This record gives sequence, C-alpha cells and structure tokens, in this order.
Amino acid sequence: MSATTAADPSAQTLASLIDILKPFNKTGANLKAETSFTEDLNFDSLVVMEFVAVVEDVFDISIPLNILPDVATVRDLAVAIEKIVGESRP
Amino acid sequence: MADLFDRFAPLMAQRDALLGDGGANPFQVKMDEVLSQTEAMIEGRKTILVGTNNYLGLTFAPEALQAARAALDACGTGTTGSRVANGTYSGHQDLETALCDFFGKDHAMVFSTGFLANLGVLSTLMGADDYILMDADCHASIYDGVRGSQAQIIRFKHNDAADLDKRLARLADKPGNKLIVIEGIYSMLGDKAPLKEFVAVKKKYENVYLLSDEAHSLGVLGRYGRGLPEEAGCEDDVDFIVGTFSKSVGTVGGFCVSNHPKFDTLRLVCRAYVFTASLPPSVVASAAVNLKLIQRGGALRTRLMRNAAQLHAGLSGLGLKIASDVSPVVAVVAPDPQVAVQFWRGLIANGVYVNLALPPATPFGFSLLRASLCAAHTEQQLDAVIAVFAKVAAEIGLIAPAKRKRIAAG
Repeated sequence: MSATTAADPSAQTLASLIDILKPFNKTGANLKAETSFTEDLNFDSLVVMEFVAVVEDVFDISIPLNILPDVATVRDLAVAIEKIVGESRP
Repeated sequence: MADLFDRFAPLMAQRDALLGDGGANPFQVKMDEVLSQTEAMIEGRKTILVGTNNYLGLTFAPEALQAARAALDACGTGTTGSRVANGTYSGHQDLETALCDFFGKDHAMVFSTGFLANLGVLSTLMGADDYILMDADCHASIYDGVRGSQAQIIRFKHNDAADLDKRLARLADKPGNKLIVIEGIYSMLGDKAPLKEFVAVKKKYENVYLLSDEAHSLGVLGRYGRGLPEEAGCEDDVDFIVGTFSKSVGTVGGFCVSNHPKFDTLRLVCRAYVFTASLPPSVVASAAVNLKLIQRGGALRTRLMRNAAQLHAGLSGLGLKIASDVSPVVAVVAPDPQVAVQFWRGLIANGVYVNLALPPATPFGFSLLRASLCAAHTEQQLDAVIAVFAKVAAEIGLIAPAKRKRIAAG
C-alpha cells in the first residue's frame, strides 16, 4: 500500500475522499493527498471506524479492517479504494 | 528516549481531567463485603448492586455451592495445566456433555473465559481465503479474535441486515467461506440482534456460516434459556454459539457449541484452548449445576424481565433517556462524560452501584450509566434505586424539579 510503489490514484478519488474528510477535520488540517490520518487529523481508532463506514457507503465497497494498518495518508486510502473497486468489477 | 508508556499520555490526561479531582473512581470500586447477589458493602455503605451481569442471581445457588465444595475437596484448587498437555479432569468432560444436552448440539468445547472462547474460535476458524463479516458493535474479545485471523475482516452496520446483505453480495463470486459474527444481546445498550433477518440473508448465499455470541442472552432469552436463537426459533441456522459462564451461569469460563461434524479439530489447533490452564474443578462443577438450573429457570426469567420492566419504566418515567427497549440491561444516556461521572458519583454516594461506560467502549460515543438487572432484585430494592436516580438526576440538573415532584407525589 506504499505510495511509492502503487499507481497514483485518480484526482477524482482523491477529491471525493477529501470531501468526505471535511466533517472529520477537527484539527483544521490542510486536506491533501499527503495528509496523515493520525498525525495531521489526530484520528483515534473510533474516528477511523466512523470515517471508514462513510467511505464504504460513498464508494459502495467493503474495506477490510486488515488493510487499515497500512493506510497512513489520504493517498494510501485512495489507492486501496481503487484496488478494491477494480477487484469487484467482473 | 521516549518512555514506554508515553503513547498513552493523551488517554491518561483525559482520565485525569475526568476523574483526577479525588472523587470516587468508577473504575476502582472495591466491594469490601458481598452480602448477597444484590448487595455489598462499599465505602462502609450497604449498596444495592445494579451492575453485576448476574442476571439470574445464581452465584449463591445452594446446589451449585454444594457441587463446587465437593469438587474442591475431591480435586483440589486447580488443574495446574492445559487439558491437551496436562490431562483432562472428568468434570470438564461432564460439563461439555451438559452443554451439548443444554443446547441440543453435538459438540461443545469449554474455554477458560468467554473472552478466550471468542479469541480462540475467531482467530482459528477462518483461513486466509475466507471472510469474516462482523457487526460493528461487537465486543472487544471479538475484535481481538478476528485480528488474529488470516481472513479478510469486514464490518457491517450494527443490527443492519440490509447492510450485511449488500456486503455478502459483493463477495458472492469469491470462493472463500464467509462467517457472520453477531451477538444475541449487546452488552452496552442491551439491544437484541434481528436474528431472523440475518438468517434470511445468510440463506441467500453459498458457504456462509453464522456465529452468535450469547454472553448476555444465555439464560435470559428463550423458554429454556438457550438465548436468542431459541427465542427467535432459528437454532439450526446458527452454526456456532459462543458464550460465557460469567454472567447468568454465575461463575467464570467460556464455551463454544456446534453441530459441525469436524468441530473437535479445534481442540488441537485453537491456541487459546491448547496453551492455557483449564478451569478449576470447583468452577466447572458449579457451571454444570447452574446450567441445569437455567434450563428449568422459567420463574427466574419471569422475575428478571419483570424487574427489567420496572426499572425501565421507573427511569424513563423520570424523563431520563434509556438507550434501548425493555431489556435486562438498562442504559441511561448522559449528555457527556463529565455529567456521567457526576451522576455515577451521586448514585454510589447514595448506595446504588451501576457501571459507568464511556466512549470508546460505547456505541454512538454515548456516556452511559449502565444498570443490569438480577432476578433476585426485589421490587422494594428497585423502587429505592429509582428514587436515588430521581434525587441525583435532579441534583445535577438533568431532570426538572417539577417532574421530580410529580414523581415523588405519585
């Protein structure tokens, strides 16, 4: 899930994610691809779960809990989402 | 160099802000003397216990005490080892037979706690190509159990069969097995799973199993106390039932029962079973006796539900917000953690013990005064509890004095 090895996510996925993030942005962080969920947004495990649930609804996917430890930034999550969306296509 | 515990500093700061003023600490309650299933001496005060999960009050059942004493004298204070490595006592096998009889299932395995039962079964049952779909509000032991599994872990919305359906549909063409994990009654709010709806969803797909944790519903639901599957009439559709002896069974320990023909494989591969000491013989003996009392405990269940209805009606009548319908768990929702602590301290100072439950251990970020009923509570005890809630809630400004007067007059 590292940003250096995975393909860059589309601008559209990033933009949707940043849109979803807005109500969760309690630290007033600058929301961009490099924004870190724990360091910039101070997400605790509970907020992560709430946020992931909204992302799942918007993208109509299931995000396995197993991948979350590898997701540090908005970009990481965007890459993971595109991988899941790609796999679910026939 | 950072200290080992530095990463917990924000949590400890939060705790100090909430509890650091030297007032009574809800997480360090000491019961100096246990007077009965429903009363203890706390800080020199006789206190009514409304937070023990001792739903049927069987902790002092004379038959169980007698069996425990006999086992203690015959077999000693402990087994000092694992059943796999150090040998099984006959009482442990008898208890597993008793569980099979109780649930009408072919196989049963006893674990040393309910937490270990979930940890062991959930970390072992599903493999790398499989999927576990768990209710988002599941207990910490389920979260920790699935974390040890090789399977993909997917959460669905609490008690939402449509959300589960959607997620199973996405996996329909994946070859792996799927395991749905739910609880009969959820511990924090006391709400029940819509089991029939979940079973209907399960039946739409191939290779889907269902596991229900009946920790808070064993002994409580169903004519014979077999929990939510019995009450909902779908026991054959629940492939695995996990439970604990530490609530209605009145002692400690955990179990899993199933009709799967190869279930006993778990005895060799489940690390939480193989690599831990088995329960003391006295505990095992009292659990076996109490299972029988539960099976014919219809009168206890009637008293429990009558008590639940009395407390639910009494507290909601005060204008307090209760998190769910009538249930053996009555959780009063406080507006924030500060008020919840103040409320809890007022209750304990007036001789009423309930549990304080705060986020992140609670759903919706609720701050809860969590009461759990016991069949042994008397109507007078619960009247006294309701009166104390009324007094404290008015003192801290949670309910209007006018409402309080009307209640007092009524």
